[in-house]
Amino acid sequence: MMEQVLLWFFALAALAGGVLMLVLRHPMRVALALISTMLSLAGIYAMLGVHVIAVFQVLIYVGAVMVFMVYAIMLLDVRDPSFTRRYSAYLLPGLAGLAVLAFAFVHAIRGSLPAVEAPAAGGNFNVQQFSVAFLNDYWLYFELTSVLLLAAVVAAIAILKARRGNNG
Amino acid sequence: MAHLLTLIVILPLLGFLLNGLLGNRLGKAFVSAVGCGLPLLAFAAAVTAFQSLQAGGAPLLDIAFRWALVGDYAFEITFYFDRLSAVMTLIVTGVGSLIHVYSTGYMKDDASYARYFAYLNLFLFFMLLLVLGRSLLVLFVGWEGVGLASYLLIGFWFEDPEKARAGKKAFITNRIGDAGFLLGMFVIYSTLGTLEMDRINAAFMGPELPAVSASLIGILLFIGATGKSAQIPLHVWLPDAMAGPTPVSALIHAATMVTAGVYLVARLSGVYLHAPEASEVIAVIGVLTAFFAATIAVVQTDIKKVLAYSTISQLGFMFLALGVGAYGVAVFHLYTHAFFKACLFLGAGSVIHAMGGEQDVRKMGGLARKIPWTFGTFAVATAAIAGLPPLAGFFSKDEILWFAYASEAGGSPWLWALASFTALLTAFYMFRLLWLTFFGQPRMDQHTAQHVHESPPSMTGVLVVLAILSAVGGFLSIPHFLEGQLPLPAVDEHLHHLETPLIVTSVVIALAGLAGAAFFFGGDASRAARVRERFPGLHRLLSGKYYVDELYQAVIGRPLVWISDRIFLRLGDRAIIDGTLHGLTGLARFTAGLLGRVQTGSLHLYAWLVLAGIFACLAWSWGHV
Amino acid sequence: MDSTQLLLVLSTALFALGLTGVIVRRNLLVMLMCMELMLNGVILSLVTLSQQAASTTGAVLVFLVFVVAAAEIAIAVPIVLLLARRKHTLDGDAFTDLRG
Repeated sequence: MMEQVLLWFFALAALAGGVLMLVLRHPMRVALALISTMLSLAGIYAMLGVHVIAVFQVLIYVGAVMVFMVYAIMLLDVRDPSFTRRYSAYLLPGLAGLAVLAFAFVHAIRGSLPAVEAPAAGGNFNVQQFSVAFLNDYWLYFELTSVLLLAAVVAAIAILKARRGNNG
Repeated sequence: MAHLLTLIVILPLLGFLLNGLLGNRLGKAFVSAVGCGLPLLAFAAAVTAFQSLQAGGAPLLDIAFRWALVGDYAFEITFYFDRLSAVMTLIVTGVGSLIHVYSTGYMKDDASYARYFAYLNLFLFFMLLLVLGRSLLVLFVGWEGVGLASYLLIGFWFEDPEKARAGKKAFITNRIGDAGFLLGMFVIYSTLGTLEMDRINAAFMGPELPAVSASLIGILLFIGATGKSAQIPLHVWLPDAMAGPTPVSALIHAATMVTAGVYLVARLSGVYLHAPEASEVIAVIGVLTAFFAATIAVVQTDIKKVLAYSTISQLGFMFLALGVGAYGVAVFHLYTHAFFKACLFLGAGSVIHAMGGEQDVRKMGGLARKIPWTFGTFAVATAAIAGLPPLAGFFSKDEILWFAYASEAGGSPWLWALASFTALLTAFYMFRLLWLTFFGQPRMDQHTAQHVHESPPSMTGVLVVLAILSAVGGFLSIPHFLEGQLPLPAVDEHLHHLETPLIVTSVVIALAGLAGAAFFFGGDASRAARVRERFPGLHRLLSGKYYVDELYQAVIGRPLVWISDRIFLRLGDRAIIDGTLHGLTGLARFTAGLLGRVQTGSLHLYAWLVLAGIFACLAWSWGHV
Repeated sequence: MDSTQLLLVLSTALFALGLTGVIVRRNLLVMLMCMELMLNGVILSLVTLSQQAASTTGAVLVFLVFVVAAAEIAIAVPIVLLLARRKHTLDGDAFTDLRG
């Protein structure tokens, strides 16, 4: 029962963060709302028993990605129309789309998924299994992700170099 | 020497490669040595081959290369050396070598000296391929190759568009004949299953005749021969071919290449013996060509054009002989003609050389004393072609006239009459040329007159050799030599008593031509001018060469241009092909313009379209999954 | 509504909110963050369903998605920086040079 309450709590918190992201004006506040959503999701993952992913969610998303994002926001403190007028011309079509899409999703889930109790809510899943799976079955993908990250780093440097070259 | 025949063919090719690739770097001495030396070696090899042929008796065979194997039939490059090939090879290499030597003097100052000798050697290579090939296929390769070399050499001075045009005309006219030749080859291969010429002859000479009309094959191959040997109606290219250097005219357009058609018919005599209809066509075409070309030659004023029409006329004589079954006699005339016509052309080249490039006989005259060697040799060759005994042309022409009258394989009095009249015209126009060029008052301007000079020894020496051959060549009886291979036709017993009168007649005819030329063109040629004024229409018709070129232009050329322009260019290319493409690009532009409207550059709209897409996918999945 | 359905509804809701944010917000950085929100929604559904199926593959996949997301943001933020340098604005509507 306690778990169910916590699940609902985290779910509502995540949803609230998402909604706040749409309405807050300042990007920094939007970023904080997103961080709260992510932390709530991390709580949900922990409750589902996949602690590894909960930890990654906090470490990678909140710790790395969002910190990077916050730096960018602080770096680009541009006071331009995108601050004063937060919504684009597509506000009404966008909201209408949201309504239709949300209805469609809910309808799809309720219509197609029978109510099944999550079997592994207690978690038969730990870091050891995860690591073994990674190093036995998915080692190639693991290595490839490092290549991808390296490429991303090189690309980021190249982009910034290019800007400097254009200016100089 | 297992591959002696291959060696004969390869030597000029080697010369072509050396001169063509290295000639420009290694200087004129090298080019001359290679250009003349290798043909002379080929001549020596041909003499060696001839000796072993005489010693052994059987034809020499030399399988050079197996080209392709189709079913049971092997297409081989095989060289075949019998008496007919021997005569042709000796003429080609012998006269060819002499003309190469002559060219070293004639082309001395030309900028493209190496290119000239490269082409000349290339010509010899293909010509030897033509006469030595055992298979019609090899012959055809040579046949096309000499056409190529001829084209290159006619258009040798290609900076002049008129000369380049003459080269193209020769090539295109020959293609028409080649179409017939190819069809003939197809018919032969599909019915006889072989292209080797001795086997084709054997098939027709055997007890069972092949199930194909010999006349069909004969006519198709003869169409090819009319193109190469400039017979009516494909004779129009040869006079224009005089645009090339004069030694080329002597070698290709008088002595060797244009006789390829005669060689082809003689080589396939086995077919033509069983094709009386084809033979009749050949005889008639031959005599008509001889006659019409001779009439045109009477009024031409360009020294080379006169000789060109004379060549067409003499080729007509050869085909007349072929048409009445006297194949050996045709080859005999080919052989004597090679000597005296080469001598005439080279003499004309010497005259042109002396005159500083002038070719119009109306601006010559009185040259006999200034260039005596040229005059002497030219006079001998003129007498030979006119048929004065005992020069070479007398023997061969006399035999042609005799068989045209008496042969049982198609001879008739009217062929003889027309041929004899043509012989009269021949004597007349040749002596006219001699008179206008060498006798009478000089008609050139002062400047040219001072610079008239005799040609260098490399040219006069060749002229003397050829003049001697023109004089005595007739004593070598080629028909007799070839009789084992090309038997002479039977002669009507009742006509034997006419043989001596006919010989006397032909001598009289030659002398009459001489006398007529002296009468009309002696002195100031005023009598000729009066005749010209009396018959202006006839003179115009002959000067205009019967307007055959204009006729072809009107009947073939202009409709072709019209169809190409209106139907193929304007309708086909511009309207249909270009129109389709323009329509397609227009459609692509139009639709791209429509779709481009979606590209507003607004990220929000793109995201909204993504949303719409997701919804569409979901909606579709409800209905279908 | 059981927990699986709840989490799936939550994931779709986050995805839809994120997409709507990309549509309605002007600021480029905010649009970028909304995309992260969409990705989080997708990850949630992945985790939920893999947990229901009790497979490690889902977790591995989630890890890979994390890496891709990190790489994506590492590229996207410098690009936004460049754009802002060029036009001195973060307004998404300002970048319409490729309009058809």
